[in-house]
Amino acid sequence: MPAIAVDAMGGQHAPEAVVQGVAEVSLHTGIECVLVGDGARIQQLLEGIAYNPEHIDIVHAGETIGLDEDPGEAIRHKHDASLLAAIRLVARGRCAAVVTAGNAGAAILGGLREFAQLPGVRKVAMASVYPRNVDHPGQDPLALALDVGATVRCEPLDLVQFAVMGAAYARVISKVEAPRVALLNMGHDAGQGGAELAAAHRQLAALAGLNFVGNIEGNELTSGKADVVVCEGLLGNIVLRLLESVASMAVDLTVSTAQRNWRWRAGMAMLASGSDRLRALADYASYGGAPILGLEHLLIKAHRRSNAQSIANAVKVAAKAVRDGVMREVAAAIAASGTQVERKRSRR
Amino acid sequence: MSATERLVFRWDLDKTYLKSEFETLREMMRIPFEKAEDKIAAPGVAALIRGLREAALSRGRSVRVYFISASPPQIGRAIRRKLELDGIVYDGIVFKDQLHRLMRGKFRHLREHIGYKLTELFKARVAESPGSAEYLFGDDWESDPLIYSLYADVVAGRVDAVELEALLRAMRVDTPLIAEARTLAAALEPADAVRRIFINLERPTPPAQLRGYGARLVPTFNYLQTAACLYEDDVMSPAGVIQVARSLLDDSAYSPERLTNSLADIERRGHLTPAAHAALRQALTAAGLLAAPARPSLSERWRRWRRRRQEPARPVARLPAIDYRTMVGLQVPADAATE
Repeated sequence: MPAIAVDAMGGQHAPEAVVQGVAEVSLHTGIECVLVGDGARIQQLLEGIAYNPEHIDIVHAGETIGLDEDPGEAIRHKHDASLLAAIRLVARGRCAAVVTAGNAGAAILGGLREFAQLPGVRKVAMASVYPRNVDHPGQDPLALALDVGATVRCEPLDLVQFAVMGAAYARVISKVEAPRVALLNMGHDAGQGGAELAAAHRQLAALAGLNFVGNIEGNELTSGKADVVVCEGLLGNIVLRLLESVASMAVDLTVSTAQRNWRWRAGMAMLASGSDRLRALADYASYGGAPILGLEHLLIKAHRRSNAQSIANAVKVAAKAVRDGVMREVAAAIAASGTQVERKRSRR
Repeated sequence: MSATERLVFRWDLDKTYLKSEFETLREMMRIPFEKAEDKIAAPGVAALIRGLREAALSRGRSVRVYFISASPPQIGRAIRRKLELDGIVYDGIVFKDQLHRLMRGKFRHLREHIGYKLTELFKARVAESPGSAEYLFGDDWESDPLIYSLYADVVAGRVDAVELEALLRAMRVDTPLIAEARTLAAALEPADAVRRIFINLERPTPPAQLRGYGARLVPTFNYLQTAACLYEDDVMSPAGVIQVARSLLDDSAYSPERLTNSLADIERRGHLTPAAHAALRQALTAAGLLAAPARPSLSERWRRWRRRRQEPARPVARLPAIDYRTMVGLQVPADAATE
């Protein structure tokens, strides 16, 4: 199987967590990874932990794009940045997918610069996974939301294309025959949310081959009613951050409450496995990553706070997506949907 | 290295030559009942040993291959048969007479590894011609890095009998074995005989943990890495390295990418020069075992050139001398914890 390029310098805990995550993958799977970044530093870190060198290559890149750097400026001036070097490895066929926990904006711009967009896709969407209740046994405990920040304002057609791409991705990764797709809105009525959302609802409902279940409200996001939730980037980003902060607040509250008196502490001790589960659910960084859809190659964006385990999970998601031909599925779904538009100018 | 000096290759058996499984009591109990056909050699090791002998003989060098095992002589028959099946020509094999020790009530000897192995190595060295060069092969399961390094430094005269005794006492080696080791060490003619020590990272131990043993000790993840370093030392021919690579590809389901990554890793760790790496890659590519590397774009070549100017290759830190007291200090609590 072709290799996965991993941006070793991207993320709050990089390069340590990234190198550790890839080392874990090298010991327990046959996935080949190419760590891209400061070669000497990566090698030094690897030598201090258990790893299998047969599954790891290192490509040196002399620059790093910081998490808070301006993405446009960074892409323009840092040609030897680890993120761009990793993306180039995929563009040139050395690797099959990229994983980064680094600057999201730079990942999107880098992807747009080095990869071609999928034919007929107007805008790219950044997806994210989040925990939700399951309605039935075997249902994936994670749902997919897109867009969460790549395209701030969307036209109805963009939302339709996001739905098609998200459904194709979920079909392969979550193994759901017909993923339920919903449009995030302020009510269930098809006409609510303004002209653009109403038009998107109309087009989604009319689209053959898409299991569109209508609008979904904010309080239903975690209910398990939808496998794929579609929204514009601004809203998606706010919702995702809100979910993260609520989950983290719940954990903090539980801990601080338990510290107040011994009876609550005893109660908490009895509920230890439950609170551990809550903590695990609230740990968004551990979910691995989700794709930036709309590009011809796979780019997995992991959470900026990713630890070694989440990097390992993101690499496994990327390898699974490559093995199962996700990008082929997404391209075929877009082609079959009849939603393609002709772009005036495309890269490459 | 002189072309006329004898080459001696000393091999540990379990976890170095054989992929022995003795992590559980059940696996340990199974070993004496295994037939030669059941025993599995580590990927590429048989091709490596054959290649070493062929390379030496083709250059008119005298060569000796010895095995040293902590297994009881009762399994010797199966082991000898296994070596025969693998086409290994060897000059001696030593087993630990566990039953004899057990009958003498020396239960602690069953676990005593350092004293046993060190004295056996000294005995072998006393019988060897003083001018011979040695390569030692072990693993990261017991104390091979410490035993082999100590052996090399005693043979070289860098560790004297007094220091040896103090170290063995710190390692709680049985008193008669300490006395025997001292006597044997005193009989050695000092010679810097041990060229390299290869430690097969079977567990796998992080290589940095073995850095204290200096550049003479090379932790390797597979036998292609070992073969590459031996090629660099001019005791293995390119054809021998190709045979090891072919064995990994054909018998152990390695991919060309895994071989490529292995060579790059051993170079990055400073045990293989870029020139030797390039020569081996060329030989392996010419043999059809590795894909020819894609020609990098002009911008990529420019980036690499700039990088090479900025960052010289990192050599492995060459320590002036091994601090055995620290090593032993580290060793004792670890052993005590497992007893």
